[in-house]
Amino acid sequence: MSSRRTVLFSLAAFALSALISGPAVAETKKPVVALLPGVVDPFYFTMHRGAQQAAKEEGVELLFQIPKAWNTAEQVPILKALIAKRPDVLLVSPVDKQQLVRPLKEAADAGIKVITIDTYIGEGKYQTGKGSADFPISYIASDNAEGGRIAARALAKAIGGKGAVYCENNKPGISSTDQRLQGFLEELKKYPTIKVLETQYNEDDANKAAAHVAAVLARTPDLAGIFGVNTFSGKGAAEGVRKAGKAGQIKVVVFDAIPGIDQDLKSGLVDIAIAQQPADMGYWGVKFAADLVRGKKIPAWKGTGFVVMDKTNIDQPDVRKFIYSN
Amino acid sequence: MTATTATLPPEPLDRLAWIGRVWPWLFLLALITFFEAWSQARIGRTFIFNGYNLQAILLAASAPLMLAIGQTFVIITAGIDLSVGFVMGLAAVILAQATLAAGDSNAALAIGVGVTFLVCLIPGWINGVLIARLGVPAFIGTLGMYGVARGAGFLSAGSGMTVSIDHEGLAWLGDGWTPIIVTVVFLLGAHIVLSFTRFGQYTYAIGGNPQSALRAGINVKRHLTIIYILSALFAAVGGILYTARYSAGAANAGESMLLDSIAAVVIGGASLFGGTGKVIGTLIGALIIAVIQFGLIFLDVNAFWQFIAVGVVIIVSVLIDQYKEKLASGK
Repeated sequence: MSSRRTVLFSLAAFALSALISGPAVAETKKPVVALLPGVVDPFYFTMHRGAQQAAKEEGVELLFQIPKAWNTAEQVPILKALIAKRPDVLLVSPVDKQQLVRPLKEAADAGIKVITIDTYIGEGKYQTGKGSADFPISYIASDNAEGGRIAARALAKAIGGKGAVYCENNKPGISSTDQRLQGFLEELKKYPTIKVLETQYNEDDANKAAAHVAAVLARTPDLAGIFGVNTFSGKGAAEGVRKAGKAGQIKVVVFDAIPGIDQDLKSGLVDIAIAQQPADMGYWGVKFAADLVRGKKIPAWKGTGFVVMDKTNIDQPDVRKFIYSN
Repeated sequence: MTATTATLPPEPLDRLAWIGRVWPWLFLLALITFFEAWSQARIGRTFIFNGYNLQAILLAASAPLMLAIGQTFVIITAGIDLSVGFVMGLAAVILAQATLAAGDSNAALAIGVGVTFLVCLIPGWINGVLIARLGVPAFIGTLGMYGVARGAGFLSAGSGMTVSIDHEGLAWLGDGWTPIIVTVVFLLGAHIVLSFTRFGQYTYAIGGNPQSALRAGINVKRHLTIIYILSALFAAVGGILYTARYSAGAANAGESMLLDSIAAVVIGGASLFGGTGKVIGTLIGALIIAVIQFGLIFLDVNAFWQFIAVGVVIIVSVLIDQYKEKLASGK
């Protein structure tokens, strides 16, 4: 056991000597911005790269930590450790609208300016002076309703402006996908020759989505197009179309551009993909943070854009670059 | 401890018992010293001597700790309870639903807590019956309950996954140091039961050797059933504290805590072969995990290193455990 003790002490001594000989941190006045996304996911890694670019431009020190699962109990301990570091600004994608209100209030009370990215707390309306969740300074995300309208226009064009379509959705009650559906339905009212069928909910299960296609097709043989509001809905819908032997005839529009979407577009499994721009979200997050530190005003809401991808443009470098990556 | 160590030869016994008992403490101390030194040298700020940091570390430790306390009893009997994470989630949802249904007063909260305990008795009791009376291996029986509790939690939550609840008394329970104090109270209670009562002695006896426990006149089946019920009830407390902290019950509240709870027990010196383990050891195990996680984030180390660090600590703990077993069996 004495040898064990020796090992322990020599380890400690080694660690201490490494510390002391290491370069001491100079007292810089660099603003510190912490980025805390929702979960390990290509979408958020892409966001991080956008944030890094802005951090370089603005001379900001960027901290980055990411939960291993989409779960309050995972995100909050990380959040607390970041609060302990006292960054000037916290960029965060809260994993729950309600449960993250108190933990984020803690950050705000500690003098850290909170900006939410991609997802929001409360109603997503900040700096209104109303409610207990209006304290974040800004919300940066895709305008999901606009994304739904873009999907509607793309699908309408793809099916030549006539036939029946429906929306394959995740589940009701999720702000982002609800807004996409709403925008989609709204826009389709402008196309009287397109018949809109009941929305189907698959609870993020691609198999269920595929089964829905078979059922809808049995009832409505002239089904012309499907809008999958997220990755799983889109994948399942495409799979269902392929199984029914209708690939190419029934057009599939899917939200998000996960790695591999270029293959799916080229093989005709998916006809159109609407890519969000997480890199832009990260970029604007850090830009806004730098503005805040310098005492400038920033807007309480900023929408980021979309890129519509299909088989004809997916090989162009200025479209390709919007595919999310790890 | 007493059941197995009594048969050990005296010389290695002393050394091993010493290592087994002391190394988690030394390791925790070394970790804190290391992070403190690093933090002082690199960012010129204290790591541990700061109210906020200390509270954050203790909160991070307390959530899986509540599951780990029950798990300690189970593991001492050479069992395992994989259902605790989702029983915790079920409890979190039931508390929110029952309190909302009962009104908005503190009495409603008391009713909610009561209903939560009653509901969580069921998975605990079923686990106990499956394992103690029907001879189902603990790993399989509680894996089944993992699925059942998960489904029940999501169903109870209704359409969404979470049930929000705005209740002053509940918010107080989840605020600041309160959840830590509650955890400490349960921890001390469990420690006393395990170390100083007949119930505790029986627990070690069953884990050390169920046959001789049976011969010694212990009602093994009944005792095991009670232990699985206890495990579910500790998970229920964990769920109640979760709902209190986040003003919402979530069906996935404990999903990420199951493995941390087992890790805490093992790092704390309990043997998966049964017969050994201490509640205080489990506390140290949970603190080690929390300090590593908080420390690495505080020092801006890539998140994935946390998994590696905790994984290495678990492996080392089990190696020490194996080594003890080997010497104990005289090989």
